[in-house]
Amino acid sequence: MIRPPDYRRRHFPAIAAFVVLTAVIGPLLSTSRADQFLVDLWLVYSIAVLGFYLVFGLAGRFAFCQTFMMALGGYTSAWVTRDHSFLLGVVSAIVVTALAAGLVGFLIRKAQHFYFAMATFAVTQIGMTIVGQATSFTGPNGQATGIAPPSLFGHVFLQDADIFWLFLGVLTLCLILVAFIERSPLRREAVAARENGLVASLSGVGVQRVQLVLFMLGSAFGGVSGSLIGHWQGVISTDSFGTDLSIGIFLMLLLGGVDSIWGALIGAAVYVALPRLLSGIEHYSSIVYGVLLLVVVLAVPGGIAAAVRRLPRRFPRRFSRRVADAEG
Amino acid sequence: MDKFVALTASGIAYGAVLAVVALGFLVLYKATGVVNFAHGDLVTLGAYLAVWTTTSLGLPTVPGYLAAIALMGLVGVAIERVAYAPLRSRPPMVVVIATLAAAIVIRGIIAVWQGSEPKTLAGPVGNRVVHIAGAAIAEQRLLITGVAAVAVLALLFVFQRTPYGRQVRALAADPEMARLTGVRTRLVAMGAFALSAMLAALAGILIAPLGAVDLNFGFGLMVTAFAAAVLGGFGSLGGVVLGALVIGLIQQLFGGYVLPDYAATFPAIVLFLVIAVRPEGLLNLTRSRL
Repeated sequence: MIRPPDYRRRHFPAIAAFVVLTAVIGPLLSTSRADQFLVDLWLVYSIAVLGFYLVFGLAGRFAFCQTFMMALGGYTSAWVTRDHSFLLGVVSAIVVTALAAGLVGFLIRKAQHFYFAMATFAVTQIGMTIVGQATSFTGPNGQATGIAPPSLFGHVFLQDADIFWLFLGVLTLCLILVAFIERSPLRREAVAARENGLVASLSGVGVQRVQLVLFMLGSAFGGVSGSLIGHWQGVISTDSFGTDLSIGIFLMLLLGGVDSIWGALIGAAVYVALPRLLSGIEHYSSIVYGVLLLVVVLAVPGGIAAAVRRLPRRFPRRFSRRVADAEG
Repeated sequence: MDKFVALTASGIAYGAVLAVVALGFLVLYKATGVVNFAHGDLVTLGAYLAVWTTTSLGLPTVPGYLAAIALMGLVGVAIERVAYAPLRSRPPMVVVIATLAAAIVIRGIIAVWQGSEPKTLAGPVGNRVVHIAGAAIAEQRLLITGVAAVAVLALLFVFQRTPYGRQVRALAADPEMARLTGVRTRLVAMGAFALSAMLAALAGILIAPLGAVDLNFGFGLMVTAFAAAVLGGFGSLGGVVLGALVIGLIQQLFGGYVLPDYAATFPAIVLFLVIAVRPEGLLNLTRSRL
């Protein structure tokens, strides 16, 4: 049997290694409450950014509504779990965000590049205003309080250290799902559609269908992430999903790298860890982010993940070149 | 009736500011092909600079404003040097990301420099009002409309009648050809960045006295202006001005009469509907005839 080239990227061993490594290192890093919070935040942001990777990295759709999808997922889940279980809340968050993305994506299926970006931005603005005003659904000023903590099979996740395992589990499931896509023809079609839509559709790729599917899937990831944040914190408001986070989601994926699933995880880690590492000059953190982004774009357009991937290849080459220079 | 007149007046004033924002955005787009995500933050920066020149430096309002606008020209050139010139040969997406980085840096600098407390900018005419058809209209709004109209006309003149405008239009039509016929693209690009930043500052200074200036002040304005630009066909300058007035009037009239709580979403709804129905804009007749 011929193995497709994508299989050579060994997704599943890599995911297994990542999960084991995180399971070992995560609790070690979490020596204080604040650090535990950051580790959990990294995992839950990673889920949203992984979704954004599907939309922006794979499908090449400049969507500005991932934070709105997070908010929608969070509020949906908060509303459902008033009477029902946590699991049903998460599932309904997935369904609602996927349907919302499906509707939006269908209406603007022909919009390209910046038009798509701006239309999705408009969706975010409209949605957030409605969420803020619809007080019967959310609560006063768009703030939903008293959201039940996550509970699965009778176990209630109350401590942040407990939540870590839940988030790691969900992230693992999401990674496996994305790995399936990475190994499937969907990835190939999405890349073809992204690189040249006309040529792709002439060779039989349903460009709009592929992009719509990935947009729905990526948004559902955002819904999961938002729902988890809500249950973890017990409170969500429109401020938790504001402009800063929507720029932040972009930043995470671009810093990490748009062309691999690891970029999302690395970028989220950098984004979450940076304010902690810069303690003392937190005021300047957004300047640091911006400069970092500029440097990454200039020096390694593929993001940190691409730089890491290229390292083993680059060093021997540079070495051999130097040897050749010395000899020649 | 007086309510209608008041709302119409504020709609026109708002639309005029939107036109200035949108034109600043388009000048850069036409000259360089760059969609500048930092434009909104340039609007914010312009307003903050005006606050600084008039309060900290103690300049009178109008010279203070002019100083702020001049400074913003330098800021535009600086952005061109840092975030655009090194990326000239890269794909457009990289340049867009660089403008996003510039936006984040500008935002961070403002936050460090001025803090996150909202500021107010004193207008040159204070809080005086005039009465037209029974409606009290702030003189600032009339001033906005007048200044914006002058700026738009001046810009149209520059585009249609001067060598610089011709070069920009040549670049917009066909960058390769323009370069071959001797258009100095780098100079034109630098000029466009400066002009665009100055227009952003002008818009920020015009509208700031009507409310407060905070970090997100320009960002929302930019999105609304983008709605106007899309409505106007994203290319023709006249169409953009018309689109801006339509959006301004829709926001004020619908917001005033129908759903005040949702006024801010009307431009977003219009933007979304236009993109859903006609992804290339409403007034883009020439291209659809082609």
